Amino acid sequence: MNPALNKVLLGITPIALFLALWQSLITFGYAPVTMLPPPGAVFLRLGQQLFTSDFLHEIAATLLRLFAGFGIAVVLGVIIGLAAAVSPAINAVVKPLVRVMAPIPKVALYPALLLILGFDHASKITLVAADALFPILLSTYYGASMVEQKLIWSAMAAGTPRAQILFKVVLPAAMPSILTGCRIGLVISCIVVFLAEMITSTDGLGHMLVQAARTFQTVDMFVPLITISMLGLILNSLLHGLRTYLLRGFPEV
Amino acid sequence: MITPGAALSKSAPLLACIGLLCAWQVASLALQTESFPTALEAIRAVPSILGDKESLVNIGASIRRMAIGLSLAVLFAIPLGLLMGRIKGVASFFNPLLMIIYPVPKAALMPIIMLWMGVGDMSKTLVIFLGVSLPIIYHSFQGGKAVEEKMLWSGAAMGLSAPQRMLRIVLPAALPEILTGCRTGLVLALITMVTSEMIARQSGAGNILFNALDMAQYDTVFAMIIIIGAMGILFDAAFEKLRGWLVRWSKPQHDMPLSFS
Repeated sequence: MNPALNKVLLGITPIALFLALWQSLITFGYAPVTMLPPPGAVFLRLGQQLFTSDFLHEIAATLLRLFAGFGIAVVLGVIIGLAAAVSPAINAVVKPLVRVMAPIPKVALYPALLLILGFDHASKITLVAADALFPILLSTYYGASMVEQKLIWSAMAAGTPRAQILFKVVLPAAMPSILTGCRIGLVISCIVVFLAEMITSTDGLGHMLVQAARTFQTVDMFVPLITISMLGLILNSLLHGLRTYLLRGFPEV
Repeated sequence: MITPGAALSKSAPLLACIGLLCAWQVASLALQTESFPTALEAIRAVPSILGDKESLVNIGASIRRMAIGLSLAVLFAIPLGLLMGRIKGVASFFNPLLMIIYPVPKAALMPIIMLWMGVGDMSKTLVIFLGVSLPIIYHSFQGGKAVEEKMLWSGAAMGLSAPQRMLRIVLPAALPEILTGCRTGLVLALITMVTSEMIARQSGAGNILFNALDMAQYDTVFAMIIIIGAMGILFDAAFEKLRGWLVRWSKPQHDMPLSFS
């Protein structure tokens, strides 16, 4: 057997064990079906719902907020991060602000956002953006401030105008770090959008979970959870694909 | 003698706080809506919350749950992460499972865990534990993986057994990375704490916050946000001091953690 296949098999084992444990808890009567539905029932329900328009509508609502918030976070994070790395004056302002704002639990700001921006998309998108912003900003900043000085000197010696150095040297050199930050930001966006929808919402996956919990439909509680996990995996692998495309020719880090 | 430059950089976070509060004051004066009190009004409401015995007990209970969940996660996640970092088989065994669990919002498990364990301390602590474990495992894994082989060989040559090598070489060498994970975990514990109390409205800081929102006591809402935000900043600063002392031998690191996952 080749080693790659071996690794995959080894990785599937705990997932299979986890599912087996889940099933056996029910089969041997440790957990009543009303409290813990069997995995088969959950996946069956997921399969049934996956192609109904209602469910797709919920996913679309969640994805819209997720992408909007994440997109804002990427744009702002990269711009502010680059600016702080390039200009000492901006750095002096941004650094203490980030130090203070990064450890604040953003979920606690959600009530304020609700009161100011209302119960619609805007408050949720802002929350997602606020949470995803800092990892992207910080990794852009570190990536850009660690660009080798020699690279910049060579570019200048080759006659690159100063204004273009930012886009032709610093940005590409910081790209691996920026993409790592984006990856963290993406996972956070998944988590936060779900939580925001759980707190106040009329649609979206988080709302589905709360709705199911209120009516004690345990099967329906598991479906949105599994869906967000799979969405996270899919988005993550898309980002990974983008990374391999953008970083082609880079030495493997 | 403190130079003006050093004094400025020391007080910069404080200046940033004041700047943020000023921005808030201006924004709320400009918007003039009833549901958005000014910073001064919110600050004035802080003492009445902190003076109230019941809210203090509530906030104390929140911090206790957070501390227990965080310590359990540290005890569990660091050994697992280091083992994953040193032994390839363990890493490929756990990695896919962890990748699946990562994007699941842990606080979203709250309704399900509440079904099994009730709304009490147990379920909230468990949710905090789950939420905090992943980043610590991940950072310990990265730290354990990056330990130099040569140090381990030297250790083995000097007759250290495998568990001793783990404890005396891998753990200290990976400590800076592990502590970065713990710092992320600390912030995450606070977030999970607030969220779990918001879902299981029974006690705690999150409960006060969202009850005030439901009852339209906007001053209390914003005062509670200040309190929770201050907790985040203070815990983070305190941990940073501790971290600086624990790894004072290592190269000075980024003064801000990279990941807040």
